[in-house]
Amino acid sequence: MRMLRGWRRGLLVLLVCAWTWGVVEIVLPRPATRAAGSAEYVTTGVFTPAHPNAFAAVKDFVDLHPEHPVQPIAYTHTVHLAKGLPCTFCHVGVDQGPEARIPGVTVCMSCHQSIATDRPEIKKIAAYQARGEDIPWVRVYNYSESAHVRFNHAPHIRAGVDCAACHSDLTKQTTAERKIDLNMGFCINCHTQKKVSIDCETCHY
Amino acid sequence: MAHKWGMVVDLDRCTGCEACVVACHAENNIPTAGEDQAARGRAKHWIRVERYWEGDFPNPRVRFQPVLCQQCDEAPCEPVCPTYASYHTPEGLNSQVYNRCIGTRFCANACPYNVRFFNFYNPEWDKPLQLQLNPDVSVRSVGIMEKCTFCVQRIKAAEIQAEAEKRELKDGEFTTACAQSCPSKALIFGDLNDSTSEVARLSSSNRGTKLLGELGTKPNVTYLERGTWDNASHG
Amino acid sequence: MERRDFIKISALSGVMATLEGCRNAEKQFIRFVPEEELVPGIATIKPSVCTVCSAGCGLLVRVMQGEAEVVRRGQQGLIKMGLAKKLEGNPQHPVNQGKLCARGQASLQMLYHPDRITHPTKRTGARGSGEFQTINWDDALKEVAAHLGTLQASGSAHSLAFLSRPLSGQRVELISKFLKVYGAPPPIWYQPFDEAVLRQANLLSFGHAALPTFDLARADYAICFGADFLGTWNSPVAQSIGYGEMRQGRPGRRAKLVQIEARMSQTGANADEWIACRPGMEGVLALGIAHVILAEKLAPQAAAARTGSLIAGWQEGLPGYTPEAVEKQTGVSAAVIKRLAHELTQSGSAVAMIGGPPLAHTNGLFNALAVNALESLVDKNSVLSFTPQVGDVAPVQASLAALHGLSAQPPQMLFLYEANPLFSAPPALHVREALAKIPYIVSFGSFIDETSAQADLILPDHAALESWMDSVAESGSSRAVVSLAPPAVLPLHDTRPMPDVLLGLGRQVGGEVAKALPWATYDAMLRAALVPLRTRPGSIDVKTDDDFWDAAQTQGGWWSSPSISPPVPAVKRAPLSAVSPQFAGAAADFPFYFLPYVSQSFGDGSLAHLPWLQELPDVLTSAMWSSWVEINPKTGDRLGIKQGDLVEIASEQGSVRAAAVLSPGIAPDMVAMPVGQGHENFTRFASGRGANPLSILAPLTEQETGSLAWAATRVKLARTGGPEQARLVLFAGGMSGFPHEEQPR
Repeated sequence: MRMLRGWRRGLLVLLVCAWTWGVVEIVLPRPATRAAGSAEYVTTGVFTPAHPNAFAAVKDFVDLHPEHPVQPIAYTHTVHLAKGLPCTFCHVGVDQGPEARIPGVTVCMSCHQSIATDRPEIKKIAAYQARGEDIPWVRVYNYSESAHVRFNHAPHIRAGVDCAACHSDLTKQTTAERKIDLNMGFCINCHTQKKVSIDCETCHY
Repeated sequence: MAHKWGMVVDLDRCTGCEACVVACHAENNIPTAGEDQAARGRAKHWIRVERYWEGDFPNPRVRFQPVLCQQCDEAPCEPVCPTYASYHTPEGLNSQVYNRCIGTRFCANACPYNVRFFNFYNPEWDKPLQLQLNPDVSVRSVGIMEKCTFCVQRIKAAEIQAEAEKRELKDGEFTTACAQSCPSKALIFGDLNDSTSEVARLSSSNRGTKLLGELGTKPNVTYLERGTWDNASHG
Repeated sequence: MERRDFIKISALSGVMATLEGCRNAEKQFIRFVPEEELVPGIATIKPSVCTVCSAGCGLLVRVMQGEAEVVRRGQQGLIKMGLAKKLEGNPQHPVNQGKLCARGQASLQMLYHPDRITHPTKRTGARGSGEFQTINWDDALKEVAAHLGTLQASGSAHSLAFLSRPLSGQRVELISKFLKVYGAPPPIWYQPFDEAVLRQANLLSFGHAALPTFDLARADYAICFGADFLGTWNSPVAQSIGYGEMRQGRPGRRAKLVQIEARMSQTGANADEWIACRPGMEGVLALGIAHVILAEKLAPQAAAARTGSLIAGWQEGLPGYTPEAVEKQTGVSAAVIKRLAHELTQSGSAVAMIGGPPLAHTNGLFNALAVNALESLVDKNSVLSFTPQVGDVAPVQASLAALHGLSAQPPQMLFLYEANPLFSAPPALHVREALAKIPYIVSFGSFIDETSAQADLILPDHAALESWMDSVAESGSSRAVVSLAPPAVLPLHDTRPMPDVLLGLGRQVGGEVAKALPWATYDAMLRAALVPLRTRPGSIDVKTDDDFWDAAQTQGGWWSSPSISPPVPAVKRAPLSAVSPQFAGAAADFPFYFLPYVSQSFGDGSLAHLPWLQELPDVLTSAMWSSWVEINPKTGDRLGIKQGDLVEIASEQGSVRAAAVLSPGIAPDMVAMPVGQGHENFTRFASGRGANPLSILAPLTEQETGSLAWAATRVKLARTGGPEQARLVLFAGGMSGFPHEEQPR
């Protein structure tokens, strides 16, 4: 240390601190579990809204999420929508309550026990059902718990908002992609245009 | 007319049973502090029952008083928040916007009723107790202030339902968790702007008083004084 | 190596450390196919029945979809299932009419408790060592069936015992029938605060061996001797509803409440007038008031002919109970006694109630009969009534007497269901020694507690919300009430409903037992028992049994039209003279009356494992997570005890230590402690916390019924330490109570 003078010493101190922080915050695991429903699922004996590690917190803060996550089944919206299937056939509840249900294997097999049964992806679905397992879909649209936002689908559907307005044109997507950035500005713009409440408590409570 | 949410606490009906306290915990995802944190004054009871002792044995007297956020019209917690996390909604609620809160705790300092609680640490639930958490209510993380919201999630749900059915909200159609559980009906919640509502009627009772009203906070909770046995009229 | 290398290494470590954070989750759980169809975000409301006290309130459970970690077919994974989110009272239920008390609200935590027993387990270490290992249901049931078979075959069927907390509804029928046909003695219903004294008194006074129902909404004056009817006694929610109406539900008419007790209870805190009476002398006080009424002819004597005849001297106008004589015995002034007599009879309709500590003396029955006589004299408007019953009413049985049988002749096999005498029965009863002599103990409870820790095999029951629930209200309504509900949620763990397990064991045992219990599952038994109610006038008016069964499940039960029970003929019995209460411990050595009281948070201690209740501030002291001893401030001064100091209370049986709370609401010659803490072994939230006042009680009993006289122990009191050792956690004014700060409270 005594060999270093001035700015070099300062830089060394900074690097040592950064290294220590890295070890403590990022490498060492926290006793935390992300809320179930997300792709990463670490389990410990406790549930907490905290992020599992600092890197996850950083990702969440800068909104770094994969736009087109890889799904376990190569589902194609294109094909199904072209056949005239309404969104609510699979995504039940979107006009009744806050959430749009992501369909389970039972929904898929209700048709695919007899339709296109020779395709490899359909065989995969049948295999899931045979094992008593549900398809582990990766969530594409979600707000993290720390956004403290409570989005409710039903009033939007009832107001006549088209699914594509927020979820983009799914007739051109296989598995879902986040083509539209659903940040607060996006919501506020539409609310202002449609003259709907932009009071904070409308969504944040 | 816009709604104005208010509450009446009838101190003659309140028995001090604290059903309201537990109901609130269950409804609003309030974390349990545990012995150590509770010893540091960090237990979060959004509604609490205060007890006031007077006199000595053999003539002691106790008075119970449930205290919750008064949703003041002139709330002292609102002007002191540097990020507008504590602000007044058009329906008369003092709202806490969790993601705006940066944890300065000026609001808790300013509140004369001591009804604001700070999350000093990330709350934890021993699994599987977290399965009970209410999905309609945010789970507050560390550094965020919280307090009674008049069960805003129930207010929103009822308003959305009424809108879907294209009708007005009816008095008594929904209520807060505390008022719903109270066996002696000491807590009455409703729309003060609805002249036919129970809460509007009781708020104008001659037994009515405001908690620390002299501070000018203009609370939206009216306390009805406890009666005496001389069959004094009331209503 | 010099700085360049050092800097390179640091930078490299930093980068590697950052990249570490990118790693994926270590474990990807598989997702099981959901077992039910639910729409996320939308709640369904299902009925259920609260089991936390004997009132049997009706519940509505808010069920929403969520994801739970479960084990299916031996594999860990996630499953979307309906989760119970919130309990409310069922507005249609006649007992609680949509309301729910603090303990009822908290009972939701029993379902998702982290220390629930999740699989059948078998003891591997010594009894009480806590060493258990998981066993599968088939093997477990085979083992139990084998034991039952062996016992029967060797002519020892009489050596099977069933020890359970008191239950209601068809579970009672099932357990009783199983034992009877098997050849075993009847079940032992045990709880520390049983109501045998009051039931016996009501049988003698009113012809109903049952807890009383009070329609307080009809009362203008209530005089209550010791019963915490707004807190924990009898049917608290129903009584609180009536209380609210009695106060402010009738414009221009507000009733008065007079509470008579030696320690201010939650109910006493709400009284207009609180009167301290010497412990055990409440009956004498009631008769003093009756004497004035009779002497001054303030009420027609005929109304109390039946109840009065049970008291010696009633026909003669109770000559031994002049106000002056009663003042000497009770400490209540003659002027007050006279005034109460006038107020009671001048009010529109009055009621006299008794419960709690006055019955927990050796003369408890006398106290109850005396108050019942006063009640008959003053109640002109049927404020007191008895809930109509369906089916047979069980004979009055004092818990302790039944427990004696267990100690005197330990059986060879014991079934245990949520009774915890090792915690709540006085050690002088030697229950621990008795259990040690029983070769085979099977527990159905969901939690390890002091008693179930002694089991050899644990067959964990479903939680109440996962079970078919039924109960019959003993009190709290003028209608007959049979509550019924199917499971509100699917089972979370590898548990099985106790009634189904018993039915299965019955089939295995075979013979007469299998014949007597022909149902495959408990709901089939319930259906058979309940559909005959269809033809009785009541809340369900349908043409077929199927429709009735469906309607009952949807409503949460069946209830009759309201009815007032007809008067019953007088019972022939020698009238009872005044009996003085006996106490354990000479007054010279043990100067204080000791009152262990039923806690608003924990009941009899069986709810101490619920974190919401541990954190609930006690209504009179605001204490949380703590035990404490209530002491009069003058007593504190005299003995040098300050608020928060550690004190020791000692009886002839033993001693406990807890923090002192100075309270003006207790007599200077009495100390009180809430029951519920002091568990050695009862989940992470209650174990090793606080002190158990029941552990120092003397085994004195009420002289006629044999019920435990839990208010009859005397103690001595001494300071043993300061606040740092006592660790009292208060919510009120305790904001600066950080234990390491040297701040005086």
